[in-house]
Amino acid sequence: MDVAERSRFEREMLDQLDGLYGYALHLCRNQEDASDLVQETYAKALKSSDQYSLGTNAKAWLFAILRNTHLNEMRSRMRKPVGLAGEWIEELSRKDVSELHRYGPDPGVSFMDNLLGRDIEQALDSLPGTFREAVVLCDVQGMSYAEISQVLDVPIGTVRSRIHRGRMLLRHLLADWHRFAGGEGAE
Amino acid sequence: MTCEDAHLHMHDYISGELSPEIRESLFDHFAVCENCRNCYYEASRMAAKVGNLLKSQAPPELRSAVGRMLAGA
Repeated sequence: MDVAERSRFEREMLDQLDGLYGYALHLCRNQEDASDLVQETYAKALKSSDQYSLGTNAKAWLFAILRNTHLNEMRSRMRKPVGLAGEWIEELSRKDVSELHRYGPDPGVSFMDNLLGRDIEQALDSLPGTFREAVVLCDVQGMSYAEISQVLDVPIGTVRSRIHRGRMLLRHLLADWHRFAGGEGAE
Repeated sequence: MTCEDAHLHMHDYISGELSPEIRESLFDHFAVCENCRNCYYEASRMAAKVGNLLKSQAPPELRSAVGRMLAGA
């Protein structure tokens, strides 16, 4: 790489920092580990910079490196991600999509407005991992289906169905918590 | 368009992945189906909430460290 290419490479990599940190924070749950993961991701990206073509998709490339790095660490720590709603949500996630639709939105209930970031984080944590990561990459990181397909290494059709199902499950979880909490409009 | 199709397409629309032709049929369906319209409003608000609430900014010290790493390589 000449000087101009080098500077372009730096810029393209650095442009992804906030998104990568947000994703790392979601995966690690604490700022220190998230910062370490991001630095490790950049170190790996630098080492394999010859695999990246300037002006292509820095976002998908870096997110894939970050995710793989995290998965390897998780495997080595043998840590199993835990969710709050456990079996219930696992069962719900196996249901047919048309069955999920049947629940529909409750007329007049607008629990969405009262949601806090913490509620959403907890609900996302309760989703099976495959759905959670597709929803986070799409709705938080604003990635296209093609980019998510590259990061997760699955076909676009699978990405589409995970996002669809993941959002449906998330909605059911949030609506149920709202009901349990006796929130406004729950009656 | 059936309600089943509308449910599938509304998520593609929220993700910014729906073709203009299908988008038109989807909104024609919303015009006549209140249930699907409500589902769409709710799903799009939820996706926006998830996006807005979980956005993060890298701390300045991390930005400096990564900047140094990239520049020094």
